[in-house]
Amino acid sequence: MVTLPVATLPPAGLDLQASFLDVIQGLGLSDGLAHLLWLPLPMVLVLVAAVVGVLVNVWLERKISAAVQQRIGPEYAGALGVLQPLADGMKLVFKEDVIPVRADGLLFTLGPVLVLVPVILSWLVVPFGQNLLISNVGLGIFLWISLSSIQPIGLLMSGYASNNKYSLLGGLRAAAQSISYEIPLALAVLAVVMMSNSLSTVDIVNQQAGAGILSWNIWRQPVGFVIFWICALAECERLPFDLPEAEEELVAGYQTEYSGMKFALFYLGSYINLVLSALLVSVLYLGGWGFPLPVEWLAGWLGQSVDAPLVQLVTASVGVVMTVMKAYLLVFFAILLRWTVPRVRIDQLLDLGWKFLLPIALVNLLVTAALKLAFPAFFGG
Amino acid sequence: MFGFLKQVGTYTQEAVSAAKYIGQGLGVTFDHMRRRPITVQYPYEKLIPSERYRGRIHYEFDKCIACEVCVRVCPINLPVVDWVMNKSTKKKELRNYSIDFGVCIFCGNCVEYCPTNCLSMTEEYELATFDRHNLNYDNVALGRLPTSVTSDPAVFALRELAYLPKGAMDPHEVPADAPRAGALPAQVLAGLTAAAEDAAPTTGAQG
Repeated sequence: MVTLPVATLPPAGLDLQASFLDVIQGLGLSDGLAHLLWLPLPMVLVLVAAVVGVLVNVWLERKISAAVQQRIGPEYAGALGVLQPLADGMKLVFKEDVIPVRADGLLFTLGPVLVLVPVILSWLVVPFGQNLLISNVGLGIFLWISLSSIQPIGLLMSGYASNNKYSLLGGLRAAAQSISYEIPLALAVLAVVMMSNSLSTVDIVNQQAGAGILSWNIWRQPVGFVIFWICALAECERLPFDLPEAEEELVAGYQTEYSGMKFALFYLGSYINLVLSALLVSVLYLGGWGFPLPVEWLAGWLGQSVDAPLVQLVTASVGVVMTVMKAYLLVFFAILLRWTVPRVRIDQLLDLGWKFLLPIALVNLLVTAALKLAFPAFFGG
Repeated sequence: MFGFLKQVGTYTQEAVSAAKYIGQGLGVTFDHMRRRPITVQYPYEKLIPSERYRGRIHYEFDKCIACEVCVRVCPINLPVVDWVMNKSTKKKELRNYSIDFGVCIFCGNCVEYCPTNCLSMTEEYELATFDRHNLNYDNVALGRLPTSVTSDPAVFALRELAYLPKGAMDPHEVPADAPRAGALPAQVLAGLTAAAEDAAPTTGAQG
């Protein structure tokens, strides 16, 4: 649900919930009923956005991979092959759903669900504008971190329940990897949180809104940005950190025994997670929905009031476009990285996580704290 | 204390150089995105095989003297030469000749050694069949004239990279009659004779 703007915040941004409730109540329905009608709308919208995001992501992955390797990529399904991910999805829907004979049916089915649900739930806190998010939870970014640590349980569960050595090894690797990289990730987030004095994603973005591109967190947290991005790639099991699914060693890791819709859940989960991570990087470090020039300044130069309905609508659309654009820029970077760096070994992975990222993240946190005390004006008083 | 600082220093240096190398790698992959796809969209586009392409073997029944040299030079004695001795004429009479392309490795030894040049390599490479026994070509199948990629109106024939004019990279944009890179054997020969003629008068003048 979209919360009402807090009095201390600038009144910028349109509040769809308030407008919707006004209209419904204007039709003579009760307050509770209006709320009930409103409730599913943002949820469905975000779910659809997430799935469409995945389709776009899959298409981009295939096209960019092709371009990097001097190939053409999908071409015949729709213009430039845009319908190819849809065709892939349809194939998976109609495929036979196999549960191996000696596998544990319940855990085998529960695994992919447990992987997908936290990822989709994390979209709760992704803001596309001042009021354009499902819920401005006070815990915000912390909710995402805690939800993302449920995922390895699902992976381990599906790896163990498959009754297959490759699956088990893949599941164990996924768990080890997630645990190792969760800590530097949380520390990197903590430094940002310390600067913005809030766990709420909306507050984090607002704290970066002062002077457009210059006030984005990436300038104040360059090290944190790199740590966060590496850890996010590791959490998404993207190359160079795709050890849990390393096909040369483990067939397909924990997904080995999965087919049909259960496999599609894993597939969907990994891509939603990638888009989510990219969105959160843009929220935490790249100013979220902020335009490189503050929209308030632009409106002022054009002689428009920020509160005018039309300006609000334009501002909100620009915000959504900016968030998505930043996220997909990072997705592009992740895909390019996939064809640039080779996969790390498991010992290198753990070395990188515990001996490099963790100390750097700790130092980054301490330095941020010191800078915050020394220059409260620049590092959030 | 000092040793620890030194360790930190070298570690930082290594981290920086690793980041530099990843950056370089990203530069390479990003640069590749601007390049022309090397894809040949196969059933619709086909590369023109080079002159020395070793494809399906062509065989001329009437030239063959049934000497069986092809059998002897073949790594696996593959060609089957079915002949009988005609007692009255005291000559070999060839009845049948076959090569199994399911087993042939297209080394070209038979073509190389055939004394009457009745064997030759073609540019045909699409030999797929539904039954591997269909790959056993008899003298009729072997005697069929090869089809060329360039003569098929349904196919966009592309020249291989080495055959494109100097500087051209995309075979789609090169017209069929554009001169190829390098000189044809005839042109090389003409150049050689011209050079020889140039060289001859100068030596004559000196002498």
